[in-house]
Amino acid sequence: MPDATGAVDTPIHVPSPIEPPCNAAGLGAAALAAAALAACGGGGGSSAPTEATPVIAGTRITLGTSGYTQLSPVTDALASRFLQQAQFSASEADIAAVRSLGYARWLETEIAKPSGMLGWDWLNAQGYGNVNNPANYYDSSTPGDHMVWNQLMAAPDAARKRMALALSEMLVVSLNGLDFSWRSHAMAHYWDTLNTHAFGNYRALLGAVTLNVAMGYYLNTRGNRREDTASGRQPDENYAREVMQLFTLGLTQLSPDGTPLAGSPDTYTAADVSNLARVFTGYDIDQTQNVPTAIAQTGGGTRTVPSSHYVRLPLKITTNKINNSATNHSTVDASFLGVSIAGSTDPAAALNTALDTLFQHPNTAPFVCKQLIQRLVTSNPSAAYVGRVAAKFVDNGAGVRGDLAHVYAAILLDDEARNPLNADPLQAPTFGHLREPMVRLVQWARTFGVTSAAGTWKVGDLSNPGTQLGQSPLRAPSVFNFFRPGYVPPATSLSAGQVAPEFQLVNESSVGGYLNYLMNSVIDRGITGSSDMKAAYTAELALAASNPPTALVARLNLLLCAGQMSTSTAATITTALGNMAGTVSNATSTATNLRNRVCAGVLMVMASADYLVQK
Amino acid sequence: MKPSAMTDLSMHPAAKDALSRRSFLKRSGLAAAGTALPWALNLAAMGEAAAFNGGASASDYKALVCVFFYGGNDYANTVIPVDSASYAQYSAIRGGTNGIAIPLASITAAPTVLNPATPDIPVDLQGVQRQYGLHPSMTGMASLFNAGKAAVLLNVGPLVKPLTREHYNSSDRTSYPRPPQLFSHNDQQSVWQSSSAEGSKVGWGGKVGDLALPSNSKSLFTCMSVTGNAVFLSGNTALQYQVSSSGAIKIQAARNSAVFGNAALPGIINTLVSDTSRTHTLERDYNAVTRRAIGAEMDVTSALALSAFTAPATAFPGYPFPTDSLGKQFEMVARLIKGRDVLQAKRQVFMVSIGGFDLHDNLIAQHPALLKSVSDAISAFYKLLDDTDYTPAGGPTVKLSSQVTTFTASDFGRTLTSNGDGSDHGWGSHHFVVGGAVNGQKFYGTPPPLSDKDTKDSGGKYLPENQWHVGQGRLLPTTSVDQYAATLAKWFGVDDSEMATVVPNIANFNNVTLSWTGGSLLYPKYLGFMK
Repeated sequence: MPDATGAVDTPIHVPSPIEPPCNAAGLGAAALAAAALAACGGGGGSSAPTEATPVIAGTRITLGTSGYTQLSPVTDALASRFLQQAQFSASEADIAAVRSLGYARWLETEIAKPSGMLGWDWLNAQGYGNVNNPANYYDSSTPGDHMVWNQLMAAPDAARKRMALALSEMLVVSLNGLDFSWRSHAMAHYWDTLNTHAFGNYRALLGAVTLNVAMGYYLNTRGNRREDTASGRQPDENYAREVMQLFTLGLTQLSPDGTPLAGSPDTYTAADVSNLARVFTGYDIDQTQNVPTAIAQTGGGTRTVPSSHYVRLPLKITTNKINNSATNHSTVDASFLGVSIAGSTDPAAALNTALDTLFQHPNTAPFVCKQLIQRLVTSNPSAAYVGRVAAKFVDNGAGVRGDLAHVYAAILLDDEARNPLNADPLQAPTFGHLREPMVRLVQWARTFGVTSAAGTWKVGDLSNPGTQLGQSPLRAPSVFNFFRPGYVPPATSLSAGQVAPEFQLVNESSVGGYLNYLMNSVIDRGITGSSDMKAAYTAELALAASNPPTALVARLNLLLCAGQMSTSTAATITTALGNMAGTVSNATSTATNLRNRVCAGVLMVMASADYLVQK
Repeated sequence: MKPSAMTDLSMHPAAKDALSRRSFLKRSGLAAAGTALPWALNLAAMGEAAAFNGGASASDYKALVCVFFYGGNDYANTVIPVDSASYAQYSAIRGGTNGIAIPLASITAAPTVLNPATPDIPVDLQGVQRQYGLHPSMTGMASLFNAGKAAVLLNVGPLVKPLTREHYNSSDRTSYPRPPQLFSHNDQQSVWQSSSAEGSKVGWGGKVGDLALPSNSKSLFTCMSVTGNAVFLSGNTALQYQVSSSGAIKIQAARNSAVFGNAALPGIINTLVSDTSRTHTLERDYNAVTRRAIGAEMDVTSALALSAFTAPATAFPGYPFPTDSLGKQFEMVARLIKGRDVLQAKRQVFMVSIGGFDLHDNLIAQHPALLKSVSDAISAFYKLLDDTDYTPAGGPTVKLSSQVTTFTASDFGRTLTSNGDGSDHGWGSHHFVVGGAVNGQKFYGTPPPLSDKDTKDSGGKYLPENQWHVGQGRLLPTTSVDQYAATLAKWFGVDDSEMATVVPNIANFNNVTLSWTGGSLLYPKYLGFMK
């Protein structure tokens, strides 16, 4: 299978306790094991390539507004509501911009914005690419956490980041499942790939994801070999199954508006999976640019660490060097979903045919679009809403299929997203979704201008539900994401057929873990526990001395809740804050008192269901 | 010792009142009448006990503990055929020990060979005796089996009706229905737990809990998850209560003496986050969970505060719970059971889980640690229940090892074939039941043939050895999850008359015989693995 360039003879490194062991067992042949070792931390390596990557260029599009009745927000609250769906947060400047430009022009502006520094370059700029650092960053997934939190909280292109985060929850790769050298760099490249195509084309995204090294390890395309009758070996089916079930088609045949066809017929069969699996055989990492580094080990000996080049290069077709006889790519005909690919077909052509087939399948538009609507706007979009967005996926207006910038805009411009919440009384009691815990933290940081004083953004894995958020970006427990799009909470008051995906994270531990984390760390002391990422609350403190602190609560309501706080909740919080100690003769005590008021206000707002459910 | 929490029955009125009354109303059909019944009705006296053995008057204790292996366990390297003919077939299909077969010598050396009494040696449908061993990392489980405290269920999986492979292939899905969305992780997890695919709201653990509610004064503690949310523990009335492996999480903003220097805030925040009168459905649902969390936390903390059980790391010296997540979950279950009088629970269903089984790659490298964790955690749990006077002072001195039954479940089994260094999604799998009430040292169900072939005879019928898989050794189950669940539920106290409400397809396995040319197979309603 893998191209065993660069002989490797170093031992497997000793894994750290929190990382699963890197291993090459079960490959069955020395040469194969050797190349796998390279990926695993044998292999070669100097430090990471440090040449900066060009930032992602913006995409210039023109959005039509026909069919939409709500073109511009008439209140700050409606502007804030739009911004919280389109990105993570709403600043006063953002609100002014949306009110001035209207929804469509604002979206065009954001879609046209170039990205800031890519995740890959940020890791290198922070020194995480230094192979000689004694912290062995190439074995750690923690830099990947810092990278993605920094991207989410600080990047200038918040709209692209919001879309990329949504895509990361459908095309899932998780830092939890990566156990090879330069895993954080691999994850950064995956994140950068999602961002590159977030306002690009879904077909290009699908192609890039399929041959991405992180995905290759996560769903086993890397090292997937053709059938072998002598040993009985069959192609690995993992990617073939999940690319259909999770990335394109889903399990049930759908109408263009996402409703299942009568009788809910299956989209594909077990035979389709086994056949499609042949297309994904023969791929492995590309080590042609590898520059190995020998690292002295405690207790003697050296370990050869590859350079990080290989995690940024697409997987490539390899040949079997042992007998030099044949490619590792399947030579058996593959028939799936009504398409046949002869076994003699060039692997790249076969891959294109396969991905084109999935991309063109009638399910893909509604399947993908409904999930994006669920992430950005509401758990239970009407079929008509899904249908309108899916129609944009099918044709962006210029005959292009899969244009994600137009899909993103169609999700946000649609009347169902834009009408004031109470415009349709039938929708009002269920419209919206639970804000994801990781989005709440990003919103908090962006709303209050929180930055890392040291520039290091050392926010880590916040997955512990009992003490933290119970969710951390790029840390889903499996390819099935943090929650399923069809999840129905037990004992719910939702009516039959309705779903609440984000509630899969809600239980008697996580509700308390979130509040304790807010109260004990985030709101006052800052995210990282030190004072490095602490909120100044300058604007809020200026409003905190008034009693009753109506203006303070109104500000929090606008910026955090998009004005959706109920009158009674606002009254409760205003009274409670007003009863806290305020201005006294001692200036130091006054400062403490006012900060306590602000912190208590932020805590109460972020604890309230008014805030938690984004409507 | 009786902590003060025990005497305060109004500690969490929301949970208790709503649940108990809803249970009664729902089951008695009175809900529509809207009568404001007093919550303190003796539900057992009103007929619930007739359908459940162990109502409010039960003096004993029983618990079921579900151990879910997320990702789909590789059955073939868990329960391994070790007689020489079977092992040779197994090894050949798995590419030998250079592929993904476990070396025979490692099983005999471990030792993890399973030794049933001679009359109990399992025989497959061709009359071939099979001898099995466990993966060499499962020494604890093998010891439990050989000591009569554990049983192995062979080839169990979701079925709607008994099926042959010809039936499975039939386009007549009305006569030969398949379980929904076979081979899909999320759906098969849901089917195992609830008999339906993703989106299901009620699982069979929860339905057993519905029937057991009258046994427990504090009904919220009937179905307890020490892992994340899972449909298994949600009933029509019984709720899944989730506790972390370090205990219930105290919501400090609502329970501390002061918040940001102000003593009034905790009470105000408590009211704010517990408000279940919101008009928005999702807001109401969220606050309902928070309200339960605040109410129950005090009771759980009291239960866990029983002497000698305060520090998880040293809670059970001498009982080697693994220090990993599963070990900690099991340890928490043990502590909750220890505190059962505080929780006022006599019938409980627990769930714990371990992930990482989706080994398309690295099966040989990564599977052993998972199986070792399972085996070690279950062994430590059993040993603790069996060795200790495990009853709080004042109660009868009984061992709980015969009152607590642990059983395993997983998304699905995997292929018998290798994909190079792992296996792919399958269907039927082998599972374990452990406890003093288990008729152990035995196999239940039918040994599957070792085949990955699709060959047929001249009449177009699959050869007998190819009958019980659906390609690449993905096992076609010969025992349904419904039979497995029914056997456990009956032991737990569910009356036969209620079984169809717990597992809806059990009527299709009511001691029916599936016949085909050349053979037949009986599907007993109860499998006999419980005493």
